[in-house]
Amino acid sequence: MELAWYALLGLFFAAYLVLGGYDYGVGLLLARGGGPDRRRASLTAVGPFFLGNEVWLVASVGILFGAFPTLEGELLSGFYPVVAAALAGVVAVTVGVQLRSRPTDGRARAAWDRVVVAGSLLAALGWGGLLAGLLQGVPLTAAGHVAGLGHVATPFAAAAGVAMVALVTVHGAIFLTLRLPPTDAAPLARTARRLVAVALAAVALATIAGGLSDRVRAAPQRPLFAVLLPFVLVTALLVARAALARRRPGVAFAATSAALALPVALVGAALWPYTLVSTTDPAASLTVIGGAASGPTLALLGWLTVPLLPALLGFQAMCWWVFRGRTDGRAPVYW
Amino acid sequence: MDPLLLARLQFATTTSLHFLFVAVTLGLVTLLVGLQTAWVLTGNPAYERLTRFWGQLYVINYALGIATGIVMEFQFGLNWSGLSRYVGNVFGAPLAIETLVAFFLESTFLGMWIFGWHRLRRGVHLALLWGVALTAYASAFWVMVANSWLQHPVGYELRDGVAHLTDFGALLTNPTLGMAFGHVVSAALLTGGMLMAAVSAWHLLRRTPDFALFRTSLRIGLVTAALAVSLVVGFGFAQFGPVGQAQPTKFAGGAGRDALVAEWTARFGPGDYAPPALADVGLASMIMIGMLLGCVWLLLPLLWRDWIIRLRVPLQITLVTLPLPFAAVLLGWIAREVGRQPWVAYGLLPTGQAVSPVGPGVMLASLIGFTLLLGALAVANGMLFARHAARGAADPPLGRPPAPAAEPVRPMSVLA
Ligand code: HDD
Ligand code: HEM
Ligand code: HEM
Repeated sequence: MELAWYALLGLFFAAYLVLGGYDYGVGLLLARGGGPDRRRASLTAVGPFFLGNEVWLVASVGILFGAFPTLEGELLSGFYPVVAAALAGVVAVTVGVQLRSRPTDGRARAAWDRVVVAGSLLAALGWGGLLAGLLQGVPLTAAGHVAGLGHVATPFAAAAGVAMVALVTVHGAIFLTLRLPPTDAAPLARTARRLVAVALAAVALATIAGGLSDRVRAAPQRPLFAVLLPFVLVTALLVARAALARRRPGVAFAATSAALALPVALVGAALWPYTLVSTTDPAASLTVIGGAASGPTLALLGWLTVPLLPALLGFQAMCWWVFRGRTDGRAPVYW
Repeated sequence: MDPLLLARLQFATTTSLHFLFVAVTLGLVTLLVGLQTAWVLTGNPAYERLTRFWGQLYVINYALGIATGIVMEFQFGLNWSGLSRYVGNVFGAPLAIETLVAFFLESTFLGMWIFGWHRLRRGVHLALLWGVALTAYASAFWVMVANSWLQHPVGYELRDGVAHLTDFGALLTNPTLGMAFGHVVSAALLTGGMLMAAVSAWHLLRRTPDFALFRTSLRIGLVTAALAVSLVVGFGFAQFGPVGQAQPTKFAGGAGRDALVAEWTARFGPGDYAPPALADVGLASMIMIGMLLGCVWLLLPLLWRDWIIRLRVPLQITLVTLPLPFAAVLLGWIAREVGRQPWVAYGLLPTGQAVSPVGPGVMLASLIGFTLLLGALAVANGMLFARHAARGAADPPLGRPPAPAAEPVRPMSVLA
């Protein structure tokens, strides 16, 4: 049962990276200039999906707390600065997007847009750093606590954060290619293709940083999955590029979605049966089962929430269906 | 500095901010459901305008409700890892249910509601708002289940110092839950009603163009506030019995207090088991405000022949009393939360054992950083709220009809 919950947790967090990922990508692309109309049109493209994207994060943390309380406490407090940075970013994006169009004055709007850009950057850096932090292990003591916070400041974590920023930017550009009116979409497809090269470089850099770190070489229990990770990312990016060249933005979007979702699965698989691998005392490593809530709690959560999952997914799907297709380029709506 | 103190300060600041916005969310959404339902049933365009104007303010307020809520959720893991370690098996469940059952749908519905004007059929659009409201109440319920468990832990057994769930039903019949939930929900309704009345009073005092619209919302707001204040006072006094029994050290000490303190001293060692005096100050001030707000009933007869508007003074009173419900909700929470000290989970887990083992530097940076971030965003949000409230109902961006199809394709930045 723990495995099922662990998979569900992974699923929700991966879905958040895919859906929230394009929010942050679009957020970062607000910085590319082009005037207030263009920024507003980008936000209109995200429009109705924005609120529904972020709740995947809220739900992930809910599952983490309910089903894996011990892991929750150690994971979040053990990666304090990284999590706090991501959290500050998420907060800035959420408020910035919702409020940026409420002032009528152009300068105030531009200021809010900068809040969104900065927030998107922080959020992507933070989540990339967190995934990297899991792969490099933590100094978990026999008492079950993560000792100190120096373990997060590594070149690998930084490079992975940058790679995440590059990935979400490509993803966001492809999302806009799919959503904006055809005349605005074509230049974005070109931007996206150029960004793929940047993302490839960032992934290469993170791979090198990881390969050079003995902690990253030691922590994974199933190194095959960790080694697979860069290959998956490169393949997905190349597929996205090829699809953009053939004017198939839908395929490209699927590819970058995979590039954001699969790292979650691969990191989980590489560490299995652990979630936090101790770099100081192998016996202290926290297993998935050790981090999970006890049987009755998991059973209760299962009975109460699993029957509802179809409804949750159904209403999300309804949102995508109702607002599918391109925006029509008329007056921008709301955000 | 002591990390425990910093963590407590951070919790108090974030939660207070969260609740200021959430009280408005819960109150306004209830009124909005009424307004939009009336519009769909009667087809009267006045109700459409009311829905758009108040809906606009509701949505602005929502932004900070979400932002502060997300920080709250992460805060448990960041600052209170001991809480998850020792009581997470029980306390985590209602919070997990809340996120999956309530928030997830609430935000999805709200996104569709905001963008669904002129796009969805009216019935569907109305159903979405009902969905938002029901899930908002559900989230308030589950979070109160969690909070009540901290006030009075039930339905668990201790094995190796860790609490395990044995009886989920006991969490739902917790004596500290029922009346508290009623009290919180009616306090939110009171806050929403007072806000609606005060904004309307401002417009009527200024004689802005929309007389009829603001006359209607003044009436709705005042009647709601009057009904809600009675419920607030009723549920409030009803709490003394069950809470006093479950927590003999609260409310300046109840029956069985000395026996309980003796038992704790034996189990946890000697210590100061009396809550800080701040709790009683909070309680007394809240009750005073509650009694004072009971006077809204006196304004209701003045609704006859619009005397309330002609006399003007009652409008001014309505306007200046707006801060009171907000003060009361914070004071009430201070009474409840400070009153359970020195426990995180009453009689089970001392607050000091729940705090994460991170250094004071990190804790201080986090406290200052998030307080500044959320504080600045909250002030900006409040100012935008006030500006939109003052701008009136002429053409709120929410629910604005799309530009005619013949228009040139470029979006126009002159549109608000
Ligand atoms: C508009 C807001 C408001 C107003 C006017 C009142 N309250 Fe209140 N009160 C709250 C808003 C609130 C609250 C914020 O919603 C609390 C915090 C926790 C809770 O359950 O409700 C609360 C807590 C709270 C508690 C603490 C429960 C505990 O410690 O567990 C008591 C005993 C009362 N209230 C009683 C009253 C009485 C007798 C009132 C009036 C005569 C009153 N309240 C007015
Ligand atoms: C319903 C959900 C809530 C839960 C689960 C909750 C839980 C907690 C926790 C875990 C702490 C820190 C530990 C402690 O100091 O005991 C705390 C402290 C506190 N909370 Fe809450 N809280 C909730 C709602 C609120 C709200 C809405 C307020 C609004 C003002 C509030 C005000 C406070 C204050 C003032 C403290 C500091 C008390 C002190 O340390 O002396 N709480 N609460
Ligand atoms: C410690 C306790 C609390 C936590 C962890 C918490 C968490 C959250 C989160 C994560 C959100 C954002 C959800 C979204 O993305 O849509 C939120 C919003 C909300 N919360 Fe809380 N909350 C707490 C206390 C409370 C209390 C005491 C109440 C009411 C009694 C409440 C009622 C709401 C409501 C109605 C919303 C949705 C409306 C809005 O966002 O303004 N919460 N909360």
